[in-house]
Amino acid sequence: MNYLDIANSSFVFMVCGIVIAAVLIICCVFLAWAWRRGLELGMSREVMVRTIKTSMTFSIAPSIPIIIALTAMVGVLGIPFPWLRLSIIGSFQYELMTAQIGATSMGISTLGGSGYTAQVFSNSMWIMSLGIIWGMLFSILFLKRFSSGLINAQKKDSTRIAIIITALYFGMLSVFVGPPVVSGGIQLYTLAVSALLMVTITQLTRRNESAGDYAFTLSMVGGMVFAALWANLI
Amino acid sequence: MKPTNSMSIHVIGRIACIVALILIVMIPLSICLKFDIFPPMKNFLGGFFQAVMIYLPISIAEFLTFVPILGSGAYLAFITGNLTNLKIPCAAVAMENAQVKPATDEGEVIAILAVASSSIMTIIIILIGMLLIIPLSPLLNHVYLRPAFDNVLPALFGALGAYFFMKQWKLAISPLACSILFAFVIINFTGIQFTSIQGALIPVLGLISVLAGLAFYKKGLITGDDMK
Repeated sequence: MNYLDIANSSFVFMVCGIVIAAVLIICCVFLAWAWRRGLELGMSREVMVRTIKTSMTFSIAPSIPIIIALTAMVGVLGIPFPWLRLSIIGSFQYELMTAQIGATSMGISTLGGSGYTAQVFSNSMWIMSLGIIWGMLFSILFLKRFSSGLINAQKKDSTRIAIIITALYFGMLSVFVGPPVVSGGIQLYTLAVSALLMVTITQLTRRNESAGDYAFTLSMVGGMVFAALWANLI
Repeated sequence: MKPTNSMSIHVIGRIACIVALILIVMIPLSICLKFDIFPPMKNFLGGFFQAVMIYLPISIAEFLTFVPILGSGAYLAFITGNLTNLKIPCAAVAMENAQVKPATDEGEVIAILAVASSSIMTIIIILIGMLLIIPLSPLLNHVYLRPAFDNVLPALFGALGAYFFMKQWKLAISPLACSILFAFVIINFTGIQFTSIQGALIPVLGLISVLAGLAFYKKGLITGDDMK
């Protein structure tokens, strides 16, 4: 049996579908908990509804490249397993790299190439599944103590903790800003256009909070539209 | 957060992570049992340890970096993945719009609402993409549209960077300058593909950023008013 017959079988679709449905339920449980907790804390329904709406809108554009990644992965790993991995837990770069490790540890050099049998496919699946469980494992073991410690520290010296958290966030953000600045070209222009749009929209919507909610999404989409126009027209 | 409520989200989070871990293991296990395609243990362990050596240090650093931003929202974020390109920016923007701070009760509520809504939306979009993969594939890879999707990250981080730079430039300047310097050296002198080490650079720049921020705070260059 060709490994792709197994990878695209209805059984694999069913198993992956069940897991995605379970994660969807987990998301709803968290959503419901946060909603109730927000009401308990006296937060306004309007703010919480706006958060849900803007988070959903914000997530549309960054999700499209994940579909492109899916189209690139289905040829070598079938449809359902990449669908599962990209819907939850994983990311494109991680998945292909670990799938490749699964192949090389079975003595096969190319994903989906000659000698990539059902057994090699299963090795790729195992390593993709178990190689990135650490975030969840650490959360089970340490997250409660870590986040409670942060909340307590915040009560003692809120400025210090605010600086640490904001600085950590800026550190992550900067990793993605440096390369386009150095590489130049379309990446740099896209970065600059979306930054410029963000500054403009923020200034224009200063007095209108709910309009400002969509500033990030509009700037991001504006940057993407610019990239398409620049690449094709200029 | 009151102890009882704090307890309940951590209980929910831990159960959710345990359930997710079991389900994740069940997938290859059930497929191997059904089709009798278990790999030899020796080959599996060889590959597994190789993956562990690469991803365990990155995961430790990610945990230390992302939990302060997301709080208990990190349980769900680690289950649903796509943290740097989706969940963290989404939660940070949501907290900014709602004018709440991370590591506070309200901040945690907003972060969880944002991560959960973002995850649901992503799952739905990928489901649609999977169902329509044959007609969508040529469209998404079309020569006119492809540059837009190839440049999602510069578009996303351009907007985020500009906003937070405007707001807190004193904190943003050190990691930004270091990122540009690192990118310049890595791209021009090492031949390493930058994207392959981006994950490892996040904690490095995070640490530089924190140390610089605290040094500015100690010298009085950043005050409590700057962080309001």
